[in-house]
Amino acid sequence: MSRAFYWMVLPAFVLFFVFHTVPVLQGVYYSLTNYPGYGEHAVIGLRNYVNLFKDDRILDAYLFTFKFAIVATVLTNVIALAIAIGLNARIRFRTALRGVFFIPNVLAILIVGYIFNYLFANSIPAIFGGTSILANPELAWVGIVIVAVWQAAAFAIIIYLAGLQTIPEDLLEAAMIDGAGAWRRFVSVVFPLIAPFFTVNMVLSLKNFLQVFDHIVALTNGGPGTATTSVSLLIYTGGFQGGEYAYQTANAIVYFIVIVLVSIFQLRILQRREASL
Amino acid sequence: MRRPYLPLALVACLLAPACGQGSDRGVTLDFFQFKPEATAAFDTIIKSFEAEHPGIRVVQNHVPNAEAAIRTRLVKGDVPDVMTLNGASVFGELASAGVFRDFSKERVKDVVSPSIQRILNDLGTRAPGEVNGLPFASNAGGVIYNKDLFARHGVRPPSTWQELVAAAEKFKAAGVTPFYLTLKDAWTALPAFNALAASIPPQDFFAQRRAGKVTFAQAYQDVMAKLGQLFQYGQADRFSRGYDEGNRAFAEGKSAMYLQGSFAIPAIREIKPAFEIGTFALPAAEPPKLVSGVDVAVTMAREPAHPKEAMAFVEYLMRPEVMRAYAKEQVAVPPLKEARSEDPALQELMPYFEKGSLIGYPDHHIPLTIQLAPLLQQYLIDGDQQGFLREIDSEWDKAMERRS
Repeated sequence: MSRAFYWMVLPAFVLFFVFHTVPVLQGVYYSLTNYPGYGEHAVIGLRNYVNLFKDDRILDAYLFTFKFAIVATVLTNVIALAIAIGLNARIRFRTALRGVFFIPNVLAILIVGYIFNYLFANSIPAIFGGTSILANPELAWVGIVIVAVWQAAAFAIIIYLAGLQTIPEDLLEAAMIDGAGAWRRFVSVVFPLIAPFFTVNMVLSLKNFLQVFDHIVALTNGGPGTATTSVSLLIYTGGFQGGEYAYQTANAIVYFIVIVLVSIFQLRILQRREASL
Repeated sequence: MRRPYLPLALVACLLAPACGQGSDRGVTLDFFQFKPEATAAFDTIIKSFEAEHPGIRVVQNHVPNAEAAIRTRLVKGDVPDVMTLNGASVFGELASAGVFRDFSKERVKDVVSPSIQRILNDLGTRAPGEVNGLPFASNAGGVIYNKDLFARHGVRPPSTWQELVAAAEKFKAAGVTPFYLTLKDAWTALPAFNALAASIPPQDFFAQRRAGKVTFAQAYQDVMAKLGQLFQYGQADRFSRGYDEGNRAFAEGKSAMYLQGSFAIPAIREIKPAFEIGTFALPAAEPPKLVSGVDVAVTMAREPAHPKEAMAFVEYLMRPEVMRAYAKEQVAVPPLKEARSEDPALQELMPYFEKGSLIGYPDHHIPLTIQLAPLLQQYLIDGDQQGFLREIDSEWDKAMERRS
């Protein structure tokens, strides 16, 4: 019997190893070379990593990405939780509305991005005057936050809805009989009970926003100037367009470690305050 | 244990273009074509080539953002048989890395004008004396203008910087936008930058810069000041408009001039402008020189899978009549021994080709990792000239340090 379990795991393991682990290990090797992506190369040790820490452009990309990711994560979770509570209440057209709010999740980010790009560049200036916020180096990141939150909230809503449905009715009834108001019930009963779902959403959204790429390609392409260049975009443009494949691979590996550390830290903090029935 | 390999083999089969195809159908060439505007033109060329060579099939691959795409293919060790690439710094880098074939001993290179071949070779070759690509079409960087608006406001195509500024002032005073600017696409600042950077700094600037004897801050003050001056004569929403919108707006007569190279003319003509298009060289210094680059370079893999067939296709492409027909359709200059375009829009630029007062694109000497275009976009938004020059000098030094 136990042999059968191994056989069930093996295909996934092989696929994961061949298509994920091997390329990652290859990347680690290339990050120690001066490989431009083609032709000959030589091992140069840790020089790419040393240069990374001397590059102010990489620091700028980190600052932008973290600023963006933290703001977008907070907004996504606040908005998604509010909408999920609304969609969990006894309202009319509940099923239809749940479908509507899920639609952004199935649309391709690039297409959504191009549509918003048009809205920012043409429709909004036509209604309110001024020019596109995407053309303003100080405000362009706000445009990206708007699109990212709009798109990401859909998935977070689904997870919160699933969480809200695990709350037993009798607990809420008991709280009501004890005289708890709506806000009190939310803070003391609902939120503690959906805390595991909150943890999942916070970790997933922060991780996804730290890897932001498509939104930026569709909206600003990292501009104006380099104001909205995220770490992933920098890895792509520097590595493939700029011809510094090995250098940006080193950047990618450092960033991978950063994301893992951030996620573990987040899980530790958030799981500590989860309640259970 | 063998079972996991079956799906793998199937996937590999789906990815490989030739899998399961019998050899009786002849040879299939993988042709990487970088220029989205020219897809149809190359389809026509391929069709007549295939009619002449029944045993060879050519598959045209064209992708957006070709320079990143060709690199991703090379990372996978997958070099196309025959390629066209823009004669820019990526071409030079790939040629220096030894990706392309050496044409120096092939007869096919003899049709090309030597001065234009030199512009391409200057970008980089694997070893001195090698020829790693053949110029197929040349472009000209200049200023495109609306002949109707010029005639109506009594303005003549300027031949000095003062005349250019005076023309822009005159249009502005008459309520006509002098230049339609499209800075949402950062690269659209490059044609004007190139024209200025080609004429104002000393001709050996990049050699001196590589040797560390001069900085951008020393040699580029005037270039940046003039660029900033030109870009003040644009429309109000210049930072939220892109290249395609610019082509349309210029074709609809919304500006008197357009700071783009000759490669934009086919796209403008597609919108059927109701006026005649003219071009002049941006008069940055005296005597004015024309920035000209190799718009399309043809080359093939150093070791292609089908060397004979690939060479046959390259030879077909480099026939003078094929090059002329392509140049006519794409409003390019065929880089033949007597480079000449019959296109009326380019006539004012022909004297530069005849006299050979051509100069390559300066930005091809600037490593792409510096990201010149976004930096220019930033400068044109905030006007911080010293900040721009400091940044480009520091990026240059960092890039050189990483390369060494």
